[in-house]
Amino acid sequence: MKILFLGAGAVGGYWAAKLTQAGAADVTLLLREKRAEIVRKNGLVVKSPKGDFTVPVKVVTQGSDGGPYDVIVLACKAYDLPSAMDSIAPAVGKDTTIVPMLNGHAHFATLDAKFGAEKVAGGLARISGMLGPNGEILHSGASGVSFGERDGKPPRKSLTELDAACKKAGIDGGLNTNINQDLWDKWLMLGSIASMCSAMRGTIGDIMATEDGEAIMNEILEECRKVATAEGYAPSDKAFSTVRTALTTKGAKTVASILGDIEKTGAVEGHQIVGDMLGRAKKHGIAAPNLRFAYAHLQTYEARRARGGLK
Amino acid sequence: MKILILGAGAIGGYVGGRLHQHGADVTFLVRPARQQAMQRDGLVIKSTKGDITQKVKTVLKGGEGGPYDVVLLTPKAYDLDSAIEAIAPAVGANTTVVPLLNGMRHLDVLDAKFGKDKVVGGLARVGVALSKDGHVLHTSPFAAISFGERRAAPPRASLAELDAAIKKSGIDGGLHKNIVQDLWDKWIMLCSLAATNCLMRGSSGDILEAEEGRAIVMETVDECQKVAAAAGHDPGEKGMQTIRGFLTVKGSRFTASMLHDLEKGSMVEADHIVGDMIARAKKAGIATPILRTAFAHLQVYMHRRPK
Repeated sequence: MKILFLGAGAVGGYWAAKLTQAGAADVTLLLREKRAEIVRKNGLVVKSPKGDFTVPVKVVTQGSDGGPYDVIVLACKAYDLPSAMDSIAPAVGKDTTIVPMLNGHAHFATLDAKFGAEKVAGGLARISGMLGPNGEILHSGASGVSFGERDGKPPRKSLTELDAACKKAGIDGGLNTNINQDLWDKWLMLGSIASMCSAMRGTIGDIMATEDGEAIMNEILEECRKVATAEGYAPSDKAFSTVRTALTTKGAKTVASILGDIEKTGAVEGHQIVGDMLGRAKKHGIAAPNLRFAYAHLQTYEARRARGGLK
Repeated sequence: MKILILGAGAIGGYVGGRLHQHGADVTFLVRPARQQAMQRDGLVIKSTKGDITQKVKTVLKGGEGGPYDVVLLTPKAYDLDSAIEAIAPAVGANTTVVPLLNGMRHLDVLDAKFGKDKVVGGLARVGVALSKDGHVLHTSPFAAISFGERRAAPPRASLAELDAAIKKSGIDGGLHKNIVQDLWDKWIMLCSLAATNCLMRGSSGDILEAEEGRAIVMETVDECQKVAAAAGHDPGEKGMQTIRGFLTVKGSRFTASMLHDLEKGSMVEADHIVGDMIARAKKAGIATPILRTAFAHLQVYMHRRPK
C-alpha cells in the first residue's frame, strides 16, 4: 500500500522510518523544502532506546507528486492544519483515507468540511520524542499508534492494511475498534497534563511538591472527565485511575511537551488541547475553573508572544 | 533626630539619600562590601527629580553610632529575619521602628521581637531599582513613603519629626492617619497584581487579551478584598475602584516586580505577599481558588529554582 506522511517530526518521522525499514509499506514523505533537503541527504535518522537506525525514504514537496495514495497520515501540529490541508489536497484521491494524528478533537470538523467525513478516519499517536539539532528523530519511549473508523463500522480495507503494516514493523497499537473513546482518553490525559505543566511551569514532580498542586491536578482531571462523560465518552475507571496515577506521582519527571514549546517561546496548541475542552465544558454547563485559568495562561502567553514581549 | 536606615538598596538608598541631602542626620547600616563601595563612590542617585552623589555615614553594626530615634527597615520580606538581627542593637528605649515592607506579616514578627509600642506602620511607593554598580536608579515620577501609628492615637514626636524631614526632602506622603488601611489597600493591589502576573506570566495588558483574563483579575481582587474585610479593613467602594482600575488598563505593560524577579530566577516574596493572604483567608473561612492556584505556581517556581 502507498502511504503519504505529511510531516517528519517525532511522530510522522518515527512511524514512517519504522514502516520503511521493515519494508511494510510504500512510504513517501511530503515535506517543506528545507526539511525535504535534510531528509533527502541524510535519510530518516532515528536515535532510539530501541535501537538507532537510518533509512532512505522517498520525499516529495508537492502533494500532486507520486500519488494516488491509499492513506495519508497527517502528522502536523494543530496550528499548521490549514497549510497542511492545502498541501495534501492534490494527493487526496477517490479512494484515499486521511488519518490525522493531531491532539484533541477540533481538527475533525475542519477536515470533514474540506474532504468529506467518509475520507477522514480517527487516529492518535503515543510516540514520545523530538527533533534533534540536525533533524534527527530523538525517540524517547512509547511507540504506539491507534487508528480506526469514527462511526464504529467495520474498518475499510486501507485501514486493515495499515494495521498489518504496523504489526510487521513492530509498531504498538494499530487498528482500534473504538477510536473515539481512545481519542477522548488521550485528550483527557493531555488536557490535564498540558494545562498543569504550562500554567504551573513545571514537571509533575514539581507540581506535586507544592501544598495544593495535587488537589488542583485532581480537580482538573475531574473537569476533563465530566466533559468526556457529557460528550458520551466517559473513561473507564481503570483508564482514569491509570491517568490519575501517572499525573500525581511524587517526584515524577513527566512533563507535557507544550512546556518545552513555551520555554522555547514557540507556537502552542492552546486552543486545540485546552481551549476546546473548556469550550465544551461551557456548552454542557460544567464548571471548569482550573481549565479556565490554564487557558487564560496560554492565551496570555500567546498575546505576549505576538507582541514580541518574551525573552 | 537620628535616623538609621537598614541597607542602602533601592528604596533605602533613595529615601535615606534625599533625607541626608536635606539636612537630616542619617546613618546607613550596611554590609562591608557595600560600605567600601559607598566610601569610594559615595551614594549615587540618578533620578527624574535630580541626580546627586554624596558622602554619607555608614556603619557595619547596629550597635554603632546610636542611639537612634527612628530605624527605617527596607529589606525584602525573605531577608526580614537577618534584618531584625542586624538592627536589634540599634533599638533603644526610645527608638521607633518604621518598616517599609509590603504585606502585613512582618508586623507580627517585629512586634514579637521589639514590642508593639516600638513598631509603627509604613510603606513605600518609590519606583526605583539598584544598578549593578550600586547606583540608585529612580526612573518613575513617583517617590512617596507613608507611615503612622497603628492605633488611633496622635503620632509620637519622632514620627512628627520624620514627617517634617520627609516633606523637606521632597518625598511625597509622610504621616498617615490610617496607615493600617493604607497597608491593606496596597497589599490588595499588590497581591492581585503579583498573583495574576505570575500565574499568567504576563503583564496586566497581556492578561486582558485572554478571554477570561479580566474576569480572573476581578475575582482575584475580590478574594483579597474579602480577606481585608474579615480583618476589618475593607477598602470601600472607592478604594476598590482605584485598585480595579489600576489592574485593568488595556494594553498596559505594567508588571509586578515579582514577575521580573521570577523571570530572572531570583528570590520572590511569594510567602509574604500571596501565601500570607491565603493563610488569613483560611483562618477566616474564605475561599481563594485563584490565589491558591497562583501560590501553587510560585511554589513550583521556588521548587525548581536552583538552591
